[in-house]
Amino acid sequence: MTAVTQLLKGSIRPKDNDSAWLLDPRRRGVPNRDRTVHHSESDEVDLCIVGAGAGGSVLAQRLARAGWRIVVLESGPFWDPDRDWVSDEAGSSKLYWTEPRVIGGTDPVELGKNNCGEGVGGSMVHFAGYAPRFHPSDFRTRSLDGVGQDWPISYWDLRRHYERVERELPVAGQHWPWGDPHSYPHSPHPISAGASRIWDGAIRCGIEMRVGPVAITNGVMGNRPHCIYRGYCLQGCKVDAKANPLITHLPDAIEHGVEIRELSRAVRIEVDGSDRATGVVYIDRLTGQEHMQRAANVAVAGYSIETPRLLMLSESARFPHGLCNNEDQVGRYVMVQGAPQVAGRFPDEIRYYKAPPPEVSSEQYYETDENRGFARGFALQTVSPLPIAWAEHVLADGHWGAALREYMRDYNHWAVLGVLCELLPQPDNRVTLADDADSYGMRVARLDYTQGENDRANIAYAKDIMRAIWLEADAQDVLTIDRYAHLIGGCRMGFSPADSVCDADQRSWAVRNLFIADGSACPTQGSANPALTIMAMASRLAERLGSRAGFRAPAAAGAG
Amino acid sequence: MPASSRYRDPGHLPNRRPGRQPEPAEALPRQRAGMTPQMVGRYPEYDVMREMDSWDPTTRDVVEDRLKPSGPLRFFACDEVASAHAFCDTVTAQHHEPRIPVVAMIDKKYAAGRLDGFRYDDMPEDGETWHRALAGLDAVARQRYRARFADCAADVRHAICEQFARGELKGGVWDGLNCKRAFSVMMRGVVSAFYSHPWAWNEIGFGGPAYPRGFMRLGEGVREPFEKPEAVSDDPVREAAAPRT
Repeated sequence: MTAVTQLLKGSIRPKDNDSAWLLDPRRRGVPNRDRTVHHSESDEVDLCIVGAGAGGSVLAQRLARAGWRIVVLESGPFWDPDRDWVSDEAGSSKLYWTEPRVIGGTDPVELGKNNCGEGVGGSMVHFAGYAPRFHPSDFRTRSLDGVGQDWPISYWDLRRHYERVERELPVAGQHWPWGDPHSYPHSPHPISAGASRIWDGAIRCGIEMRVGPVAITNGVMGNRPHCIYRGYCLQGCKVDAKANPLITHLPDAIEHGVEIRELSRAVRIEVDGSDRATGVVYIDRLTGQEHMQRAANVAVAGYSIETPRLLMLSESARFPHGLCNNEDQVGRYVMVQGAPQVAGRFPDEIRYYKAPPPEVSSEQYYETDENRGFARGFALQTVSPLPIAWAEHVLADGHWGAALREYMRDYNHWAVLGVLCELLPQPDNRVTLADDADSYGMRVARLDYTQGENDRANIAYAKDIMRAIWLEADAQDVLTIDRYAHLIGGCRMGFSPADSVCDADQRSWAVRNLFIADGSACPTQGSANPALTIMAMASRLAERLGSRAGFRAPAAAGAG
Repeated sequence: MPASSRYRDPGHLPNRRPGRQPEPAEALPRQRAGMTPQMVGRYPEYDVMREMDSWDPTTRDVVEDRLKPSGPLRFFACDEVASAHAFCDTVTAQHHEPRIPVVAMIDKKYAAGRLDGFRYDDMPEDGETWHRALAGLDAVARQRYRARFADCAADVRHAICEQFARGELKGGVWDGLNCKRAFSVMMRGVVSAFYSHPWAWNEIGFGGPAYPRGFMRLGEGVREPFEKPEAVSDDPVREAAAPRT
């Protein structure tokens, strides 16, 4: 009887990830943390991962199940959602990497919130929750459209991993007709008033939309409850309904012997005379003491800014411009997505703060259409700013003072539509080291960003489409904000050391036991939110590594 | 027939009005429940703090903390305080009490060394931007009106801030500071403070913290039991007599 009850409760259980079943139904967070195995620093573990986000967590969970001994260094805290997270917009800034960085270029990318995260779970703690796959065409933009770069792997290399991760998160949504058509393990969520308005306008414009795909439980999964539609996805899900590695992969990783070392800021990767990584030097942020974790393999998964920064900080006589940077490729081809948003105003109360920000989306404009006059495309998605984000939206349209207050009082009448425009990789859109230093005396990252002509044309076209949708939806007024989202690239995978930092197995060309395990390795980004792809890539990397005995046993000399 | 909101029509929106400015503040509905900045608001009967018992304790502490009196200013220097108040009051149209203490909230942030995570390559640190820009606003006011920025009339301060927002201030401090970006840095701090305050949530009818309770009524024109309707009229007497929906 018990077995039958378990069988019928909630969604399909992933075959080899018990995370959701290891959680405590009465409190949030990671209950098995106190069972963590502790590794000594002098003990050479099989793998040291920098960063406990989307890439690092999946890699750790997979390889731990294959018997690897793993330490994950995480700069931020090990979150306890009950105690640390709040149902409040301003109170959530600790989820972001807010240390100094310098931005430049013609079209600078504002950092802080909306990119790299701080703490166990990484930026997925504050991501909205959209979990679309990349399209098969994203891996071949150079061949198909003459722009961007082809990947050394194809969509079909990732497909199984997409399916596996979609079951683990889990992803909820309607059947997906774009790219490689597929279905989702959880059914679509109900939609709010704002999303309905967008849906109606889109249909009148001849644009099809679909509910989802969102990494939010629609029903019970293990000990994760149903979403309560409280709208604070970007502030860290206190409910445990929205997926992030803290609850989707790390409980299982810890159960299989992974040690997550919180408040450990990696500052340098050590390399020996034969160009092999020997471990990671980090600062214990509680004591300020420097430590080194020895490891047979190192994987860097610190987001597209901190990953190249760590490599550049690891300079030596052999690598005078930073580790793996003798070919001058580290930090190059950083991409963002153009993410303007247009809000529409309606006579009745919409109250968009209710329901998760990610609700319905469309990839009808994802692929190249020569009639539009530019290559590649964009995705349409709903968003729903809380008051501070709404104030920034109003401000961006040129209103302050009494006009700002008036649009703010009108908050409940608005619905907001956003796009993600694929912006193409450029060598000079790059992370470098600035002269400024952080509180540990380490040089901070500088990100230069300039849009190309194709990028500008794409963003302008996408804004026109959003305005057209609002016009068809009979919106009474519109307000527009220009912004960016989703950094990726910076240590891309490629075909040779001259065009990339790592190979098709995300293994760096210069240091053969050093792996790039986050979005930095992506050569292009499409117009899909990258979290699912970063997880799928880490899942594939783990499979590749686990199948090569040479990497595993550190005692085996000349391995790899 | 139930009274419907006077705000169904978009005529009050700045984009629909001359000079992109709203109706004068005197025309706004008066707040009756709870507090709002200047006691105006779109939801006269709504007080988000009445829902406090439904919030988780961590969130409740964070929000309640914003309502406590703040200590002495530590980031802004004595001779900057008046300009800081004048600037914040102008850009948030807080022309009289009760005011959300924007200056104190920003002071607390910078005194604690909290950063936003980026700096434009042609800009100083955010805190330094405040110091320089406040000095610059004072210099402009003295040069044009022989008065401190804080002592100028509201419309004069508005005109100076208009030029500030457009990046048109020149001379002195402004030759070494990207004017438009400075305005954006400062406004980011101002709106983050102002719209994190529960009084502002009352003014705009925002539901506030929602854990562990959540929301159940996602459709158009439907409300949770604790959400209140929008003002039906700007006349409190007529409004009180109007049938309730």
